[in-house]
This record gives sequence, C-alpha cells and structure tokens, in this order.
Amino acid sequence: MTFIGDWLRRLGYLLRRRQMEDDLRREMESHRTMMGDPRAFGNTLRLREEAGDAWGWRWLDDLAQDTRFALRTLRRSPGFTLTAVVTLALGIGVNTGMFSLVNGLLLRPLHDDDVVIVDGKRDFTYATYRDVEEGTTDIFAHLAAAGSPDFLGLDAGDGARSALVHIVTANYFQVFGAPPAHGRAFTTEEDRPGAGIHVAIISYPLWEQLGADASVLGRLIRINGDQFTIVGVAREGFQGLSIPGPEVWLPFGARETGFTLVGQLRPGTPVERAAAAVATVGRRLDQALPSADKTYSLTIDRPGRRLLFMQGPGNGTGSLLALLPMLMPGVVLLVACLNLADLLLARGHVRRQELAVRSSLGGGRWRLARQILTEGLLLALAGGAVGLWLSTWATKSLLASVRPLLPVAVTLPDVSIDWRVLLVTVAFSLVATLVFGVAPALALTRRAAAADLKRHAGDEGHRPGGIRIGKTLVIGQIALSVLLLASGGLFLMSVVSAGTADPGFRLDGGLVVQVDPGLAGYTEAQGRQAHLALIERLRAVPGVEAVSIGSRPPFTSIGDSRDVVPAGTPVPQSDIPGSVFSVIGRDYARTLGLPMLRGRDFTDAELLSSAGERVAIIDTELAEQLWPGEDALGRLIQFIAVVDGVRSAENPPLRVVGIMPSVKHSLGEPRPYKHVYVPLGQHYESAMTLQLRLAGEGGERAMVGTIARIVRDVDERLPVLRVATWQDHFDADLEASLYRVGAGVFSAFAGIALLLAVLGIYGVKSYVVSRRTREFGIRIAIGAQPRALLRQVLLEGSRITMIGIAIGLLLALGAGQVLQGILYGVNAVEPIVLIAAPLILFASSVLASFVPALRATRVNPTVALRAE
Amino acid sequence: MPRDAGLPPGTLMMLVLRVLMRQPAHGYAIAQTIRQLSRDELSVEEGSLYPALQKLLVKGWVKAAWRESDSGRQVREYRITPSGRRQLDEEMTEYRRMSNAIDVLLKEA
Repeated sequence: MTFIGDWLRRLGYLLRRRQMEDDLRREMESHRTMMGDPRAFGNTLRLREEAGDAWGWRWLDDLAQDTRFALRTLRRSPGFTLTAVVTLALGIGVNTGMFSLVNGLLLRPLHDDDVVIVDGKRDFTYATYRDVEEGTTDIFAHLAAAGSPDFLGLDAGDGARSALVHIVTANYFQVFGAPPAHGRAFTTEEDRPGAGIHVAIISYPLWEQLGADASVLGRLIRINGDQFTIVGVAREGFQGLSIPGPEVWLPFGARETGFTLVGQLRPGTPVERAAAAVATVGRRLDQALPSADKTYSLTIDRPGRRLLFMQGPGNGTGSLLALLPMLMPGVVLLVACLNLADLLLARGHVRRQELAVRSSLGGGRWRLARQILTEGLLLALAGGAVGLWLSTWATKSLLASVRPLLPVAVTLPDVSIDWRVLLVTVAFSLVATLVFGVAPALALTRRAAAADLKRHAGDEGHRPGGIRIGKTLVIGQIALSVLLLASGGLFLMSVVSAGTADPGFRLDGGLVVQVDPGLAGYTEAQGRQAHLALIERLRAVPGVEAVSIGSRPPFTSIGDSRDVVPAGTPVPQSDIPGSVFSVIGRDYARTLGLPMLRGRDFTDAELLSSAGERVAIIDTELAEQLWPGEDALGRLIQFIAVVDGVRSAENPPLRVVGIMPSVKHSLGEPRPYKHVYVPLGQHYESAMTLQLRLAGEGGERAMVGTIARIVRDVDERLPVLRVATWQDHFDADLEASLYRVGAGVFSAFAGIALLLAVLGIYGVKSYVVSRRTREFGIRIAIGAQPRALLRQVLLEGSRITMIGIAIGLLLALGAGQVLQGILYGVNAVEPIVLIAAPLILFASSVLASFVPALRATRVNPTVALRAE
Repeated sequence: MPRDAGLPPGTLMMLVLRVLMRQPAHGYAIAQTIRQLSRDELSVEEGSLYPALQKLLVKGWVKAAWRESDSGRQVREYRITPSGRRQLDEEMTEYRRMSNAIDVLLKEA
C-alpha cells in the first residue's frame, strides 16, 4: 500500500513539477535570508537538484536531455541519419511485413467473441437444425447453417473456372454481423430444402471483377452449368467460416450438402450457459429421433482456423517452406543491425574527442554509453516507423504474389496493421537497438579519456578496441549477405528449372477443358453421353488436330493409384509402388504430342463398352517395372484389390495392347510415376479432362474463348471447371507457383541484403578516407600515383571481405542442404550460385568503395596539410 | 564546532520527525531546533536537510504548506502526518532497542 502511495505522490510531483520546484527554490531562498550569514548556504542550484532527486525522476530528466542532445546530433549529420533510418526501415519493415502476414493468418481473431459453432456427433438434417434453432432462441440471436466450402464450376461470363462456393442459410450473414454490402441476403423461403430457387450472393472481389456497379445485381452467372441470379454482394473482406472467403454463397435450398451450425450468442450469454442449453436440446432430439449407434451430444465450439489450402505438396515440405521465409527476415534484420553497428562505430571515432571532453568533464561511462544508446533508439524508432509503412507495401506485394496460387476472387485474411503489429514493430526496434547499439556504446566509452584528448584528430596510428569489433561486424554482415544471395539464387534456379522442366510431353499447341457432369446430377449414362458429345463436337472445330479425354491428365492430382502385377504371379502382400490409374479416350498420346511406342490405340468398341477382352495401355516406366528388359506388349496384367485387408488379384486380367512414353505427373516427383491407362468403356469417371491439340503453332491462347463458347453450346448445363492452355495449366501447378513465390521473396531479401552491404561499405570507406586525408595529402605531395592510391583504397579490407565471403559460403552450403529438399531441380552444391553470389557481393563492395577511393586520389596536398 | 557528519543513516529523518512532533516548523527552524536541543552537538546542513525533507514528502510522513511567519515573511511549514507519527514511533522503538543493546554490550564486555 505504502508503495502505491509513494508512487501516487511521485506522480503528483511530476504533474505539478514546476510549482514544486518553485516551492523548493523559494523555501531555500527564505532559509538563506534567515541565516545570519547567507553566504554559508551552499550552492542553491546543486542543493535544489539533490533535494529534487528524492522524488526519483532523475532518469526522466536524463532521458529527455539525452533525447534532445541526440536529436541535435542527428540533425547535424543528415547523411548518417538518413542511411541509418533507411537501413533500419528495410530490416524492420521486412520483419513487420512477415509478422503481419502471420498475424493475419494465425493470430488475429477471425470473428467476434460471440460467434460459436454448435457441434453434434450425428449429422444434422434441415429439420433438426430448425429444432435446435427453436430450442435455443434465448441463447442465440441468430443460428445459421453452413455447408463446407467446395470448389464448383463458375462461369461469370468470362469462361468457366473452378471457384470456392459456400452454401449457407438466410441468417448466416447476420451471425457475423455483416449484412451484404449491396442487394439482399437470402430469404427463409430460399433456405427450404428442395426450394431450388437459383439466387447467389457474390464476394466483394468478384463484384469488383464484374465491374463493381449496381447492374451486377440481377445478372446471371452459371454454377456447375445451372444459372443463378446475383441478388447480393457480401461486405468487403467478409470470409465467414471459410478461409479464404468463398467467391459465391448459395442459399440452403439450392443444393444438398452436409453442414455445421454457427450461431451468434445473445449479448452477455456465457458460453457455459449456451453449452448447457444445446446439450438439453440434443437430449430432446435423441428422445424424439432415437438412433441405435449415435446420439446428438451437442457441444459448443469456437470456429477453428481450418485453412483450405494448407494441404500443400505433402510430406512436411510445405510447413518447412512456410518456416524458412519466417526466419529469413530475421537474418535481414541482423544484417541491418551489423551494418548500423559498423556505421555507429565509424561515427564514434569521429566523435572520439567530443566523448573524451564530456568524459573528462565528469560524464560517467554509463552516462556516455546511454547517450549513444539513446541515439540508437531514436534511429531504431524512426526506422521502425518507416519500416511499418514499407511493410504494408511489402505484405501487399507478397499477397499479390500468392494470388496466382489461389482461385481468382477469394477473400484473403486481413493483414493490415493492428495493435499486435505495432507492438511487434516497437519490439523489433528495441531489440535492434540493443543488437546494433550496445557493442559500439561499450567500445567507444571504454578507453581512458586522456589518451583521446591528447590524440591528434588525424592520427589513426593505432585505433584500439572499436576497430576489431568493426572487423567482426563487417565479416558477419558480408557472410550473412552471401547466405541470403545464395539462398535467393537457389530459389531462382529452381524457378528456372521448373519453368524449363521437360514435362515429358508437348505443352505448346494444346488446350485442356475440365468438365464434371456428376456435379450437375448427371447419371453415368448421361455423363458418358456428355463426354462423347463433347469429343465429337470439338473434333469438328477448325484448327483442332486431335481431341482426347482422360481422368488424370498430367499435372492434376494423382487421385486413383493402383497396384499392378503381371497376371498369374503371386500377389505381393506388402505395398508395391502404385501406378496412376487413368481412364482415357482415343488419341490420348497424340494430344500430348507423343507417339505410341508399341502396339495400338484403343478401338471405338473399347471406348463404348467393356464387352470382349479387357485391354490396357501402359507406359514405359510400368513396363520396365513389370518385365525388366522384356517386351510387355501382348502380356496380361492384373490390378491388386484390397478387401478387408486381404490382397487379391482382380479378374479378368487385362491385355497390354499398347505402350506409351512416360509423362510427368508433377514437378516434385524424383522419377516419373508409372501409368496404366484403360479405355472409357471399362470404367466411368464423371470428372474428366478433354485434351485438344491444335494444328497450328501458338494459336492456343486465342482459342480458349472459342472453345469455352463451343463447350457451353454443346450442353449449357454441363459443369465446366476449367478451359485453359496446357502451358497455363502447367504453370498453375501448386509447386511451381510456390517456387515462384519463394524466389520472389528470397530475391527481395537478397536484394535488400546487398543494398545494405553496399550502404555499409560505402559508409565505412568514406569515413576511413576522410580520416586519412592528411596521409593521402602527404603521399600525393611526395609523388604517389593516383592510380596506385586508388587501387590501394579499393583493395584495402578485401582480406576481411574474403573472410566474410568464405564464412558466407559455408552458411550457403548449409542452406543448400536444407533447400535441396524443398526446391525442384536444385542440388545442395550449385556451382553457379556459389560462384555468382560472392562475385556479386565482391563486385558491389568494390563499386561501393569506388567513390570514396576516388576522393582519396583527389586530395589536395596543400589543403590537407594546412587543415591540421 | 557542531558537526553534521557521523549521523547514522536514516537518523536525520527520525530527528526531523521528532522535532515536528512538537509543532509544525519550516526548514530553517527545524535545523535551528536540532542544533539547540542537541546543545550545539548536532548540526544539520541544508545539503542534508532538504533531501531528507523531500524524502519525507515522498513517503507521505509530512505535509508542507506556505504560511506567513510571525515576522511577516512567507515560510514553508512542515507538519507531521498520522502515518509520520506511526513511523516515528516505530523508528524510536527500534532505535532504543539498538541503543540499549549497544549500551549493555559496551558496559559488560
């Protein structure tokens, strides 16, 4: 208690400080006059200060004084200040940017606290949903139902593509307190199952894409071939339960779907009460609708953060890839700090005499060090502020680079600045100050003052302490820069290799059309009919040379993988490497620009029915596995079926009628997957991809629109997921896109590191040259060649650069080991990168020293000598 | 020559509080009183008195107010607070205990 009282009184003193100090002054004055001998009273100013110290605010005065002094000093050297602030802004900005991404994706609460999920062990029906809603009207202000977001074929007038669609009830938007920005929400009439009222609410980005005006309302869009009328536009940034936010919301009655319940608690309703209430409703449901194996057991949950796109390329590389960029900004900040420490040291030497004078006048070492740290803190805060501004720009461009990975108009999490980002930026600034400020502050205040007072301004004979630290800093900075350059280089190389990778077939002159009649409720017979009709129609399009169809074209998910063995051999009881199972039409190899190596294509009869002998085409990879070194043509194969954990060979066996070259299925595969192809007649799959090969070269992009229109004309209800060129399909491959994003990010980091290195080297060299004006003057006066001087200054310190580069190369080798596992077509030791990175750095460092070196050769001897 | 040095730490605050128990007083008066009551044995210099008074203010053991003195000049008068009285009680008890212990030791050792 007394402690708090003390502090309150201290605070009171601070608030009425002027008056309190005045009181003390008057009081002492009156004391003095009352004394017989006023001169016996000590130094009033000092006495007043000492007495005032009792209040414990001395540090604040010192801080204010330090700050004022630091501001003055920094204003006097704008060049240094600008360099330092830019350096720190880059270092801190990169980190703030990365953090605001993490913040937006993982930390920032997605919804208000009052939004909760109602979970049950049994699936809800529309009727039970309404029961729960009615039974909890005193708990929930709104209780909505929402399906799981799904990709459907969307045609908003510019051709079909797949889009994220979310099916929700009318009150869904109210649950999140986010009614549509334009138009209306759904109605309860539209919710009723089987209502079949085709209306849609579109996302804000999609609205913008459609022209962002009122006429969008009432417009028709196609979803899986069905027409829907746009009745509303969601609020900007609205995601709801789906991350990322969908492009289209459909009413509950439009499609059947499994769903979860999400509700908004009435104000002031504790979660415990809500949990009790839903549990009661659950028990009531169990009594009304008994089920042998499951009860409703309703519970309350918080909406989770299930990211839709986080599956990634599997086996952990995705998460590692996500982790690496998080570490790299730290390295950039470290480089910036080393750089700044270097600058501060160099500057500190200039200020040697000033520091010596202050120290001899009674400035304690701690006080002087604090002065230097205050300067650093001011710089760091200014850098942090500029960095914060830079980071908003950086996150925007980073998100923009992630965009191509995602469906066009999804709503991404909000990554704008909030208090967390602000706090972290300040933290980064403070940490940076400690990292770059402490060493110089200690080094510069260490030595006895007298030595420096006596030292001549131009005397650089032996410079203690600080210079050794300076060398370490330069080495560290160069090493880290090499690391960043090399990592960026590896990413760039992987992009190049991914871009030029041979997919095993011809990319140019080809188109793909993905359709899925099942999405629109087509039966197998109708679906087959739709597939064949499309092939037929597209074959007739002028300029189209060949058309085929397949269930697993290259660079789609592997999907169905089967174990294949030569017929009649014992069934292996352990896993064997599976083969990609595809259902295909005729001309499959031809549309990929590949020859049939052996045998024949499927016949029309084989495409229509499975009557007669079962046949298959396999690729060389599979042939080599089944019959190494032998001819596979004409032999029989069997698929392995697993029923209740027992493996057996499926009958009848299939005869190999053709052998095709192998094609890649994804970039990441260490060696091509094996493929087994069966004709359309043997198996039905609804989701198929039509492959077109055009007669001419390079005209495929112009054909995309035409083909999309023709496909729509053949069957306008048919869900079309994508019409694209082979090249675009290939480029949209998730892994390739990740490499591109990674290359962009790492190149930016490397670029910043290089910029920092150049800034740092320039700064330090300029300082060294200016300190040695006298030396250069003398040497020129006694006839030194400017060329020789130039070379000397350029090469000075190159030993240190070399050490830094050597350490950096070791680090780069380590990074190569890590990145090798993540990147496509990159080895741990890439000579090009390991040679280029140091060369770039060395060249930049020489370039950065050039201007200062030139200055050294232009020293005017008479001026230089007289200056002393 | 009266001496300021040699006061054990914290003792000055106790002396000031004790003087203020008699009646409220200003700085000069406090110094004079200490000097007179100690028969010139103890003198408090301004350099010690004023920091001590400020500390007492921080602790809330005294309050200060401006007043016109009998001689018509403005003086800042310190007055002990209830918590100051309690503090003085505690310190005096503690001081007596210590001083007795030391006395006993000096006599009997």
